[in-house]
Amino acid sequence: MSAQVAGLAERFKAEAGRAGAVVYQASSAEDASNYILKLAQERDVKNAVKSKSKVADEIKLRKHLEKAGIEVKETDLEEWIAQLAGEKPTGRKTIGQVEKLISKATGKKLHPDPQVLLNAASLAIRRYCIDADMGISEADAAIAETGTLVIVGNEGVTRLVAVLPRIHVTLVESQNLVPLMEDVFVKLKTITRDRAGQVVPRYVTYITGRNTTADIPGAVLARAQGPADEHIILVNKAAKRGTV
Amino acid sequence: MSRAMTKRVHKALTDENLQTALTRLLGLIKFVRQITFADLDFESLSQEIRRVKENSIANLPQLVEQFKSQAIRAGAVVYEAEDAEDACKYVLKLAQERRVKNIVKSKSMLGEEIELREYLEKAGIGVTETDIGEWIVQLAGERPAHLVGPAIHKTIEQVAELISVATGQELGTDPQALLDAARRALRQTYIDADMGISGANIAIAETGTLAIVTNEGNGCMATTLPPVHVAVVGYEKIVPGWKDAAAIFRLLSRCTAGMKMPVYVSHITGPSRTDAIPGAVLRGAGGPAEVHIVLVDNGRWQMRETDEFREALYCIKCGACLNVCPVFASVAGQTYGYIYQGGIGAILTAFLHSVDKAEEVASLCLGCMACKEACPARIDIPQMITRLRASLAEEKGLPLLNRIAYRSILKHQPRLDRVIRIGSHLQQPFVDKDLMIRRLPGPLNALTQAVSLPALSRRSLRARFKDFSSPKLTDKPKVAFYSGCVAAYAYPEIGEDVMKVLTECGAEPYYPAGQACCGAPAYFAGDVETALSLAKTNIAALEEMKPDYIVTVCPGCAAVLQREYLSLTSAEPRWNQRARALAGKIRDFSQLVLELTPSARKKPARNQKVTYHDPCHLKRGIGVYSEPRQLLQREGFEVTEMADSDACCGFGGHVVLSYPELSKSVLKRKLDNIEATGAETVITNCVPCVLQLRGGLDKRHSHIKIMHSAELLAKSF
Repeated sequence: MSAQVAGLAERFKAEAGRAGAVVYQASSAEDASNYILKLAQERDVKNAVKSKSKVADEIKLRKHLEKAGIEVKETDLEEWIAQLAGEKPTGRKTIGQVEKLISKATGKKLHPDPQVLLNAASLAIRRYCIDADMGISEADAAIAETGTLVIVGNEGVTRLVAVLPRIHVTLVESQNLVPLMEDVFVKLKTITRDRAGQVVPRYVTYITGRNTTADIPGAVLARAQGPADEHIILVNKAAKRGTV
Repeated sequence: MSRAMTKRVHKALTDENLQTALTRLLGLIKFVRQITFADLDFESLSQEIRRVKENSIANLPQLVEQFKSQAIRAGAVVYEAEDAEDACKYVLKLAQERRVKNIVKSKSMLGEEIELREYLEKAGIGVTETDIGEWIVQLAGERPAHLVGPAIHKTIEQVAELISVATGQELGTDPQALLDAARRALRQTYIDADMGISGANIAIAETGTLAIVTNEGNGCMATTLPPVHVAVVGYEKIVPGWKDAAAIFRLLSRCTAGMKMPVYVSHITGPSRTDAIPGAVLRGAGGPAEVHIVLVDNGRWQMRETDEFREALYCIKCGACLNVCPVFASVAGQTYGYIYQGGIGAILTAFLHSVDKAEEVASLCLGCMACKEACPARIDIPQMITRLRASLAEEKGLPLLNRIAYRSILKHQPRLDRVIRIGSHLQQPFVDKDLMIRRLPGPLNALTQAVSLPALSRRSLRARFKDFSSPKLTDKPKVAFYSGCVAAYAYPEIGEDVMKVLTECGAEPYYPAGQACCGAPAYFAGDVETALSLAKTNIAALEEMKPDYIVTVCPGCAAVLQREYLSLTSAEPRWNQRARALAGKIRDFSQLVLELTPSARKKPARNQKVTYHDPCHLKRGIGVYSEPRQLLQREGFEVTEMADSDACCGFGGHVVLSYPELSKSVLKRKLDNIEATGAETVITNCVPCVLQLRGGLDKRHSHIKIMHSAELLAKSF
C-alpha cells in the first residue's frame, strides 16, 4: 500500500467509524472471507444476497459462505444466470438457455421472450433481497473525506442489497479510495461502460455510516429503515493475492 | 398581525405538549450545531454553495434544457408543470393509467407545497408517507412542523398513541419499540406499492440525474421497489454538474442533522435497465421501468425575475435558519399557517402561495438576523423580509395608525418631542415610585404583561444637552452622540453616562440637536418614503460639525445609519456619498472607548461577576461582539458567558407590540440563561435590550441588575 493510499484508508476508517459503520482492514483474502463468515455465523445469517463484486470473486467469498451452509444468491442478473448455470458469467448464452435456467429456478414454464424472462427473474431476485439476512456489496469508490461508500448499478438491485437486509457488508478495494466527493464523478466516467453512450451508471448510491432517525422523540436512534449494521472491509491488492 | 395569527401564537404557547417537544428539540439542535461546525471552514464552504446557486439560477434556462435532454436520453419522461394543479393532474393521470392503488412517498417539501398527497387521496389512491416523521404527521392528520423534522412538535406519548393505532398494537413509550413497529409497518408498504413518489434535493443537468437524500433509507426503497418512480422537482434544484452537487452535500447534512454526509444519497439517471437477457436491452430490472420527472414552476420563474427575491431560490431547504430562529423555538412550524416556515418561509410563501399569507408569516419576524448568520447559502433573509414589507406597503398602503405615526410624527422630530412630553404627563397615574410602569389601563395592559416599562422622562436628552449641541474648539477628537429614541426619551441617564465617560476618555462629545429618529420603525414596516426623509435629516445633522466619530448606544440605529442609509439613498448619488462618509464614523460605545484609550492598563480585579448579552444588531448587524467583553475585562470585571449570549431578547421587530405573548416567551429563555450564570449584573450595549431585560427581570422580582456598559463604566471609571 502506498503512503498516499494508506493515508486515505486512515481517514476513511475514522470518518466511516464516526458515522456508525464498523470498518475492518483485512490482512489477506482468507482474512476477509473469514471475517464475513464469522459475522454471518454470529448474527445467525441463513440467507445472503450479493451484488456483482470482483473482489468477492477473487477472495472466493460465495463458495466460502456456501460451504458453511449459508445460502448466497447473486442478484446481478447476468451473475444470477451464471450462478444458475453453475458457471462463470460469459454473456454468451442463447435466449433458449436462459429460458431453461430461469424456468427451472422459478418453477414455472416460461416463454423464451426477453420481457417475460426479465419479469420473472426480477420478481425472484427481489424476493431474495426481501428475505435475506445479509447483503454483500462492493464499493466502486469510497470517499475518505466523509467515510462514504459509493455503490453503482444499472439494474437498481444493488440498492436493494444495500438497504433491505438487516446486515450490510461492503468490500472496498484500497485502490478505489478517493480523497474528495468531487473525485467520484471522474472515477464513475472511467467505470461506466454503457452501450447507449451513457456517462454515469443509472444508480449511484452514496452510503455514509449507519442509517438513523431523530423522528421518534427522545433519542437519535440507529437502524431507521435500513440495515442494523454496516460493515466495511478494506482489502488491498496485495492482500487479495494472499501475500500481505 | 392578524387575529388568526394571534390565536395560533397563543395556542402554540399554551400547548404543553408542544412546549415540551420544543424544549427537547432545542437541546438536540444545540448538540447538532456544536459538532457540525467544529471542524470546518463554514464561511468558505457556504460561499461555494452561494456561488453554485447564483450561477445555477442565472443560467437556469440553459440548464433546464440540458437537464431535460440528458434525462430523456437516459430514458426518463420529463413533464414541465406550470403550477400545483398542473403537476398534481399529471401524476394522478399517470397513476390512473397504470392502475395504481398504493403509492409510497418519500419526503418532499414541494409535494407538501402542491398538496400532492391530498390530491391523490381524494381520487381514491392510497398514499403512505415513508419518512417516519412525515408518517407520524400523516397519521396525526397534520402538516410538517419543520422543513427537516416534520414531527418535532410531538411528544413521545403522542407518537406512541399514533403508531399504536396505526399498527393495531398496544405500544408503550419506548422509542426503540416504536421505531421497530414503524419500520415493520412501512417495510410492507414499499413491497405492496405500485408507484413511488419522491422529490429531489438536487437535479444535475450534465447527466440528467436526480439526487435524493435520506437518512432513514426510505428514499432508496421508495424509488427502487415500485415499478414506477415519479419525482416532483422545483426548477431551482437544477445545478450544472456533479461537482456543484458535491459542494451542496458538503454542508446540507451538517446543517440539518450535524452529519458530514447524509446517510443515503441516491443518484438516479433514468429507469433501471439491463442487457443480461439475450436479444434486448430491457427496462425494469430490480428497479422501476419508468421514471417520470415533473419539473414544477408554481411561482419560481416569477421569483427568478425579481432582483429583490431571487436569492430565495438559493435555499437548499436545510432548515438551519429554523434551528436558530427564536420565534420558531417558541411556536414551531404549524403556527406559521403554511408549508414554509420562518423567515425564508415568508418569502417562499409570497411567491408559491399567497402574498396575504406571507404578510402573516413575516409579521412574526423579530429581525434578529440569526437566520442570515446560519444560512449555508448566505441568503439575506432579513433584508428580503424588509423588501417584502416595503412591497406590501406599496401595494396595499400602510395601516392608518402606522401612517400617522410614521409620516406625521416620527418624520418631524419636534412633533415627536411634543407627543412624548404629552405622554410623560398622561403616564403619571401609572408610574410607580421607582419610575417603572407595571400596569397600564385597558388594551394597553398587554404591553406590560411580559415586562415592566420605564416611565418616559420629563426631560429628554435633547433638553438636557441643550448646551452641548456642538463641540468645543479643542484638539480632542470630536464625537457626535447619536442616542436613538429609547435612550432619548426613556433612559436619558444612560446618555449622560455616555457623555461623562467619553469626556473622561479625552474626547469632546456633543449631542447634535438636529438628530431625529433613525427611521427604523418606518423602514422595517415598509414605509421607505419616511425612512428616506429621516435618513437625510440625520445625515445632515450628524455631519454638520465634522465629527471624528459618531457614537451610538442603540445598535438597531447604528445598523440603519451604517447600512440601510446606503441602500435608501442609492438613487441619489450625492446623498449616497454623504451616507457612506457617515457610515465610516459610526462606533459602538465600547468600541469607541477602546479606540480612544488604546494604551489604558488593565484595572485590578473587582470581584464582581458580570455576564454580557449580545444585542442582535450589534453582533450580526455591525459585527461588534468582542469589544464590549474586552472593555469589561480591562475594567476589572469578571465576565461569565451565558448560554446563547447572542440569542434575541424578544424586543425585536414589531413582535413586541403585535404579539407580546410571543416576545415574553423569547424573553423567558434569555432570562433563564442569564440567571443560570449566577452573575449579579448583566451588561449589554443596546438600550432597547436594556428596556426589555430590565422590564423582564422586574416582573420576575429578580435581584439581578441590568446595565448598559456606559452606566457601569460611569460608576466605576
